[in-house]
Amino acid sequence: MSSAHSQGRWAPWVLLAPFLLVSATFLVYPMVQSIALSMQQTFGPAHQEFVGLSNFGHIVADPLFWRAVRNTLVFTAGSVFIQIPLALGLALLLDRPGLRGRAFLRTVFFAPVLVGVVFVAMIFGVMFEKRTGLVNQALHSAIGWDLDFPWLQRYVMPALIVASLWQYVGFNMVYFLGALQNVRKELLEAATIDGAGPWRRFIHVIIPQIRPVGTFVVLLSIVGSFQLFELPYVLLNGTAGPDNRGLTIVMYLYQMGFDQGDLGYASAVGWLLAMILIMFTVLQRWLGGESGRRAAA
Amino acid sequence: MSDAGLSNKRPAIRTPASLGVWTVAAAAVLSSVAMAVLPGEAASGVQMWTFARLHKQLYDPIIAAWPAEARPQITLMSFPALERRMLQGFLAESPTAELIEAERRVAARAFVGPLESVGFVDLTDRLSAEGLLEQINAPSFGPWTSRGRIFGLPHDVHPVMLAYRADIVEAAGIDVAAIETWDDFVRLMSPLMHERGADPSGKPSRYLLNLWEDKDDFIELLLLQAGGGFFDESESVRIATDVNARVISTIVSWCHGPGRIAADAPDFTASGNQLKAEGYVLAAFMPDWMCNIWKNEIPQLAGKVKVMPIPAWERGGRRTSVWGGTMLGIAKTAANQDELWEIVKRLYISPELARSMYVEGDIVTPVRSFWGDPVFDAPDPYFAGQRKGREFINLAPDVPLRTSSPYNTLAKLRVQTAVISLAAYADSTGKFTPEELEPRAMELLRAAEKQVRTQIGRNVFLSGPDSPHAEPIGGGS
Repeated sequence: MSSAHSQGRWAPWVLLAPFLLVSATFLVYPMVQSIALSMQQTFGPAHQEFVGLSNFGHIVADPLFWRAVRNTLVFTAGSVFIQIPLALGLALLLDRPGLRGRAFLRTVFFAPVLVGVVFVAMIFGVMFEKRTGLVNQALHSAIGWDLDFPWLQRYVMPALIVASLWQYVGFNMVYFLGALQNVRKELLEAATIDGAGPWRRFIHVIIPQIRPVGTFVVLLSIVGSFQLFELPYVLLNGTAGPDNRGLTIVMYLYQMGFDQGDLGYASAVGWLLAMILIMFTVLQRWLGGESGRRAAA
Repeated sequence: MSDAGLSNKRPAIRTPASLGVWTVAAAAVLSSVAMAVLPGEAASGVQMWTFARLHKQLYDPIIAAWPAEARPQITLMSFPALERRMLQGFLAESPTAELIEAERRVAARAFVGPLESVGFVDLTDRLSAEGLLEQINAPSFGPWTSRGRIFGLPHDVHPVMLAYRADIVEAAGIDVAAIETWDDFVRLMSPLMHERGADPSGKPSRYLLNLWEDKDDFIELLLLQAGGGFFDESESVRIATDVNARVISTIVSWCHGPGRIAADAPDFTASGNQLKAEGYVLAAFMPDWMCNIWKNEIPQLAGKVKVMPIPAWERGGRRTSVWGGTMLGIAKTAANQDELWEIVKRLYISPELARSMYVEGDIVTPVRSFWGDPVFDAPDPYFAGQRKGREFINLAPDVPLRTSSPYNTLAKLRVQTAVISLAAYADSTGKFTPEELEPRAMELLRAAEKQVRTQIGRNVFLSGPDSPHAEPIGGGS
């Protein structure tokens, strides 16, 4: 009995040990190390200089960082205010009763997610070429658009938003479709009996019901947008584009850490990015909680 | 609480793990043991890394004739892979190849830290003692020289000429020999821009020059040609200069406004090649290595193009520039450095390589004693029978000097931003002549210089009293 009791005491720790070991090695230690690194300037392990908070100071004083923040916010706004409404709209269309070919359309809209970001970037890179690109050629044929319209030279963020829209709108649509299919039918019927039209039903019945999923999708989009890297990196041939018009926060981090070899500075950028994301998450949870309480009241 | 009560709530774990768990655990243990015990594939002989397929193709047959013990094993890897592995080796002192062939931008990464921490062997004394400094074209050492020490043997010179559509230009009766300056070029060639009429957008369907405000390589080569650039000979930042302001103002005037002569036909892209083949641009900057790219990517232009010296910025001025560059260096961690130095010389300073570099890759050797080889006088059918090798060699001694600053890429990007901003300024104000743009150009270059100085000033490893970078921020020029 004593042996069994002893086994019972140690069993949770034995079972937790692999997780604790792995997370301590690959999560906790690198995090602590990166805090130390963010206050250093290094040239390999042999040369490390403690520079205090000066890396953070330089970042905040660097106009390029603010350019990256601005670009990232523009992209995030595009994701949240264009992509999510579009995804919800598509989900509402696909949720219409009696719609034929729903499964097929769902697959069609979801399919771009299955294409790798690198391929999407390469395809859109060709499509957005001046003169010979499909976008300018098609628009020129349709409305006399300028063949030399410089998508990837001057309008980088709109080009990135369009490419991202194509890839991810179907992904978000699937979340909304799932949420819409769980909206309680009796509430909709009751609202209809009470004389609510489609718009009022959408605002007062559907939106409150799908709010948890909506909140999750918005959070996912914000976090994903702040981590934007591969799409502009490939689309702009490993650069931030002319005049840094495609520079995002993560790309700025990458350039500093791996192009210029300043790993301490890059760590500091990483921590600033983490703080921005935490701030957004807290803000969103607070706003979500507030609106939820108001709706409940 | 009794034991019985406890066992009712939380049954003790008595059963051993399932068969599946044991299988996974056994597989993990066995594979770990196998990895630890089985010998890895050990590299034998001298190892050499290169990033260029063409280079490997050129070296392999030459090396095949060498004795086995002197034959390096060449590994081809992508440009970023070589950069990462080289830096990892230099910074973390992990194994690298003994010989590393590095492109200019990659090699510069090794020069960020203290001089004693550069991962390449300092070759200055060997080069000097063996007379190689005199044998090799002097400007070719520039990108591999940091704080007065040379860390690589140059592979090339890479002079730049202007490739032009000889079929169109000669049919119009234009003699390019009469072109000495950019003003001559614009004046004599401009009629060709309008002879094909307008495109569906109402713009000219042909432009004189492949150039755009965001093409940082072109901006740099034009600055260097004019005697400007980003750093002076002592590696100090010099961006806000009169020469640079004049050049970038002229570039913007070529790309915008009523005097526009330039259009964007990007290199290395199918669309850019198509535009060149269609004659959308009449002339393009052509370093020697680019000849080979055109031959492979735009074969339909065979016999239709020729090269000419780049028009000078003023009469009697420099007619060439430089674009790209590669070196071969010895890793400092290599044990047998004398033996490796012999291999480096044997490979790079061999008449066979000089010949095959030109025949297979259109690249001109930096070894001046080989410039008399008749192979450079052979007519090139792609270039309408022109003896283009000789044309490039004639310009090679006049190639501008460059520095190895690890901040060159940063400076290039900041100047590119300045040019783009200047173009936006031109569009918004309607000021399109170089004279009108120069004051604003100087302001933008000052801002670019300040940004580069700030970044360099952050580097605690380069801020010693002997460092060329140890200048006050905002000073200079």
